[in-house]
Amino acid sequence: MVTYYKAHAVADALEVLGRKDVDARALLGGTDLLVGLDDRLDSAPGVVVDLKGLADETPLAVEDSGVRIGLTVTMADLVANPTVAAWYPALVQAAGVVGSVAIRNRATVVGNICNASPASDTAPALLVHGANVRIASADGERVVPISEFFVAPRVTTCGRGELVTAVELPRPVPGTGSAFQRLTRRWGVDLATVSVAAAVHGDGRIQLGLGAVAPTPLLVDLPAGTDLADRAVLDPVLDEALAVATPISDIRAAADYRTAMVRELAARALQAALDSTRRTQA
Amino acid sequence: MGDALRSQEVGTLRPDGNVGTRTKRYGGLERASGAQKYVADLEFPEALQVAIVTIPVGCADILGVDTAEAEAMPGVVGVLTAADLPSPMPRFGVSHKDRPVMADGRVNFYGEPVAAVAALTQEQADAAARVVKVDYRELPGVYTLDAALAPGAHLVQDPSDPTKRAGDALRETNVIEEQTIAWGDLAEQEAKAALVVEDSYSYPMMTQFPIEPLAVIAEPTDVGGLTLYTPVQHPYLMQRIVAGLVGKTLGQVHVIAPDPGGGFGGKQIPKYEPLMAFLALKLGRTVRLTLNLAETTTAIRRAGATVHARTGFTSEGDIVFHHVRIDYQIGAYADVAPRVMTKGSYVGGGPYRLPACLIEARAVLTNTPVSTAMRGYGAPQISWATESQITDGARRLGLDPARVRLRNLVENGEEFVKGEFAGKADGEWKQAVEKAMELAGWDDPLPPNRGRGIAVGIKSSATSGLSQSLVRLLYDGSAIVYAGTSDMGQGARTIWAQTVADELGVPLEKVTVISGDTDLVPFDLQTSASRSTVFMGTAVLRACRDVRRQVREMYAERVGVEPGELDDEPGAVLTAEGAVALDEAARIGLGALRGEVLGQGTCRLEGRKGHPLGGDASFYEFNCSISEVELDAGTGQFVITRHVSVSDVGTELNPIQVTAQEEGGAIMGIGQADMEQLVFDEHGRLLNPSAIDYRVPTYKDVPLELFTSAVENHDGPGPYGSKGMSEGPILCTGAALGAAVTAAAGVKITDLPLTAERIWRATRAAAEGAIA
Repeated sequence: MVTYYKAHAVADALEVLGRKDVDARALLGGTDLLVGLDDRLDSAPGVVVDLKGLADETPLAVEDSGVRIGLTVTMADLVANPTVAAWYPALVQAAGVVGSVAIRNRATVVGNICNASPASDTAPALLVHGANVRIASADGERVVPISEFFVAPRVTTCGRGELVTAVELPRPVPGTGSAFQRLTRRWGVDLATVSVAAAVHGDGRIQLGLGAVAPTPLLVDLPAGTDLADRAVLDPVLDEALAVATPISDIRAAADYRTAMVRELAARALQAALDSTRRTQA
Repeated sequence: MGDALRSQEVGTLRPDGNVGTRTKRYGGLERASGAQKYVADLEFPEALQVAIVTIPVGCADILGVDTAEAEAMPGVVGVLTAADLPSPMPRFGVSHKDRPVMADGRVNFYGEPVAAVAALTQEQADAAARVVKVDYRELPGVYTLDAALAPGAHLVQDPSDPTKRAGDALRETNVIEEQTIAWGDLAEQEAKAALVVEDSYSYPMMTQFPIEPLAVIAEPTDVGGLTLYTPVQHPYLMQRIVAGLVGKTLGQVHVIAPDPGGGFGGKQIPKYEPLMAFLALKLGRTVRLTLNLAETTTAIRRAGATVHARTGFTSEGDIVFHHVRIDYQIGAYADVAPRVMTKGSYVGGGPYRLPACLIEARAVLTNTPVSTAMRGYGAPQISWATESQITDGARRLGLDPARVRLRNLVENGEEFVKGEFAGKADGEWKQAVEKAMELAGWDDPLPPNRGRGIAVGIKSSATSGLSQSLVRLLYDGSAIVYAGTSDMGQGARTIWAQTVADELGVPLEKVTVISGDTDLVPFDLQTSASRSTVFMGTAVLRACRDVRRQVREMYAERVGVEPGELDDEPGAVLTAEGAVALDEAARIGLGALRGEVLGQGTCRLEGRKGHPLGGDASFYEFNCSISEVELDAGTGQFVITRHVSVSDVGTELNPIQVTAQEEGGAIMGIGQADMEQLVFDEHGRLLNPSAIDYRVPTYKDVPLELFTSAVENHDGPGPYGSKGMSEGPILCTGAALGAAVTAAAGVKITDLPLTAERIWRATRAAAEGAIA
């Protein structure tokens, strides 16, 4: 029998999540946790700690320096914020295709990264946006770049007795553009077969975030200043950069198809990111 | 054939009536709002919850089942194993009584029950089921058609078992039944062919995916009987099979079948009900089993198939011969799958004028979950191949694939299956093709990356049947109709209410429809093969006519005229002085003691001995579908920009329901063509039982434009000239969509589903071939 615990403050939640005598799992939107429990496959946790009513939680904070995504911020909240939409197109495009409308009204960004699926929709975008993950514990707080957050499928650096309280995004430098591309088996409500986020930063850096092609979402840097409009230049650069992708064959796709698609989507995402830069400048 | 059913009393539509209008769904508000009670919504506070014990392989000998630990678990009331059942193991089935109530010393498919645990709560039952120790030795099961047909293959059914294959010429093989349909001289016709198209095709296994998963409650009664609650399409078949297994009379087995939440053929034949009946009787307690979606997906499926076809064409596009070999992958036990094979292959030549045809079909046993009926039965599998052949032939001859079909389509009354058991067209089928072409804008030019494809489908409906109905006209002018058809979403109740309202002149809102209860409702053979409008519809119509006749006679007697001086018509008794409203005439006839008028109607069609289908089809469903896609060549993904489905329905008894069935069938067919498939691993385990990896279309996957239409010539054998129509739109969807993808991609796809990966792979292979 699973015990339900409603936490009212971060400290309160941390105490239960830190207990050694019981397997505790954090509950936000429940769109991953409850589905797993429903399938009667996952071993059920001893206690589910509901974090939706934390009194000391800051939901979505927009500041000059960037955006702070608190742990209860849903995909729908994120998509609806005009500043987030203007600064982080890749993230908003990714959050906008998670599940369905009903799922986006429940699912949180923090929950999505903590679930640590290799196919997480928001992770590739958060990677190219340079997100930092704020992790609280009884001993205080630490901040981890999201590129170091994912350890393995379903495993992150957030350990027992810790809680991700926010994802923080630095404000992009002027002239930055970004975009997200995803391949699914059907058009509505699906998990990514392959996903790619691209950012063309105003300072010349070019980055790709790759989903569902490795045990964790990957961040890849392309040489700064690569001429993205020239396929003769871009193609060998992509060949080299995407060699880090090590997709598997599974029920959703074969490895060679994923390899080809990450290449295809990367080219499309880069082009779209470049276009969004031009739109910003115009 | 339809003529056997057709009677002079099919009736004409009343201009002011309900039949033929967009009457709102009977019980529709409850169904849409969630108020309708499905089996899993019924509350049985005293019921024990049941968990089924299975093993994680598809084929194994069971060496031992140890339930001691499970029986000691908290809340556990009892465990049922094969040892608790009579010996030999009771088996059931329709054509073959081969399916054991639970695994009989050997597991023959993934998910076959080995034991069942009953406990106070579901959690307790699940926990106890996990500690039932099953000692087994895995066997080299056959999980594919190739494996099952290979020399020396493991035999799914023991050839020496007298209850199964003994005496069967095919018993040393995994072929459970085969059928050959042949006419004409293939070699002679091949000599006339300017082009022979030859190819192999495959059609995957898929599941019915009803939104309501399977559930069953078994309740022992105080008088030694048994009540079963189950969302079954055939309550009377369930009653017969369970009564036979547990040794009760039909009257002792009471089946209550609340309207199913979708069936699509998957809820016809017993699955867990016999096991639950034995469990309830063993424990003397009410027991309840509710499966989730993933468990339901594992339990019911459509047969997959592989097909090899050779088709000859003249340069003008006349089809001169068609030769098809098709193997249906039916699973571990027969269920209705041999009939899926015979009915599917009977129409394997398509609705065409073929000088020579040879269809060689086999139903093949494999160690996979048992396949059963599904919308379209065996027709979509063979249509995928036959229609793709015709598309390919047209393309290679430089002819228009729609006009090649029109050129070869049979006329009304013409034979498309020749020989002793000929099949004849029973409709103006070209009209459906012409209408579909018009709706699709068939001759309009397409933008780049688009492709358009056309296909036609045909399916024989029921070849025998029996439906009985009672209609009670009550003293206050309201009416109750008893009709055993299961309303699983197709809207059967609405059609009966419309019919009774019109025939008796009763306002629609004063008609009550009772079904789904074998204690209350008279016999109906089954809800399948789109038969109900024709069979039960005729029974209801006759019951209404019986009420009218009785009212006329009672009225005549009461007012003192000879019955022969009176007549009746829908809603009225006709006298020399004029029409008397039927309810008024009934009140006069019934007199001071009141009472009611009870009418009875029966519709019976006997089969025909020796016929490959067991009899002539009562009618055919005919459909023409046209798909248009826009392809993303870089990924292989496509968007269905337009889809058109037109069926010959005889008469639209309720146009909104016809549209709903047409649209629903088309969308289901599209899902089955472009994403659905069950995938098993090398141990026979289903890899994608859950909705995460068994994909069905969402609203974002339906065509951007979906047009449906009906051909109405009032030429069906059912009431008011109707035909059944719920399967038509799924018959050839795969072939239409496949043809559209082929046109857009420039490569022929021969395997379903049409996944992006498959299309990408085919286009890449073609491009590499072109370079090489």
